[in-house]
Amino acid sequence: MFSGFSQIVVNITFIVCIPLFTYSCIKIKMSMLKKDWWKYLSGVLLLYAIVVGFFVDIPDSMIHQTMRNLFYHVGMWFGMFSMLITGFIYSLRYLRKFKEAEDLVAVEAVNVGLMFGFLGIFTGMIWANFTWGSPWVKDPKLNGAAVGLFIYLAYMILRGSIDDVQKRAKVSAVYNIFAFFLWIVFVLILPRISGESIHPGKDSPPVLPMHLEPSMRFVFYPAMIGWILLGFWIMNLRVRLRKVRLKLDS
Amino acid sequence: MDAYGKIFVVVAVLAVILVGIFIYLFSIDRKVRKMEEELHEKSTNKKK
Repeated sequence: MFSGFSQIVVNITFIVCIPLFTYSCIKIKMSMLKKDWWKYLSGVLLLYAIVVGFFVDIPDSMIHQTMRNLFYHVGMWFGMFSMLITGFIYSLRYLRKFKEAEDLVAVEAVNVGLMFGFLGIFTGMIWANFTWGSPWVKDPKLNGAAVGLFIYLAYMILRGSIDDVQKRAKVSAVYNIFAFFLWIVFVLILPRISGESIHPGKDSPPVLPMHLEPSMRFVFYPAMIGWILLGFWIMNLRVRLRKVRLKLDS
Repeated sequence: MDAYGKIFVVVAVLAVILVGIFIYLFSIDRKVRKMEEELHEKSTNKKK
């Protein structure tokens, strides 16, 4: 997999970066996101990914040209994961000060995450139909992803079942924190340790596909950032619409 | 270009779809912003 030293470096990077990232996300000011620059950036990156993604050199392999799906199918999961992290962080923030606005962000983040998740499942089924001969194979990664989606659908059902606004926000925030860790276990950890998954990507840590051709990385990373920013944009729109509705109702 | 088997036609279609989606998102963004500004004006007028 990796040599001993690079494995240590990767582990340390993860151990240091995750708490730092979580802390900075808790402290970040929402006013930074009110500017439009990142919306244009998302458009430019995705346009680049679609145009260059079709012409960039790819290694010859069993799956031929469908390798290019990597820029689009995997982007759905990057989008979903970034939305779920956002939902997780905002649920934590909600439980700290019980501000209703933070609960709104959490629920809309999960909403957009679910949209990305379903798109990821459907695009994956198209790709699997070609690669493995059937849209759904008995594979830990695929079943884990399906279970992950159901966990978050249950979050939406839980929210719908409680009428009291405060109570709904508190209970669903606690569930969301729990669901986030379950999702990581089902989608990122179990398929790896089961050792049976034929779904690629289990040989390298998430987010860092070490075996990717250098030529593909120049499209892969911009594409992933583009999808993530697109997710944040849709989430931002939905949150603002909800806030307008709240003000109108009050 | 022929080496790609006319794939650029597909790329052009996808690019048009993507640009269309982004224009649509920007128009929604503008509408929401207008609503927010309207609400803000109304709430400041009430306070006066």
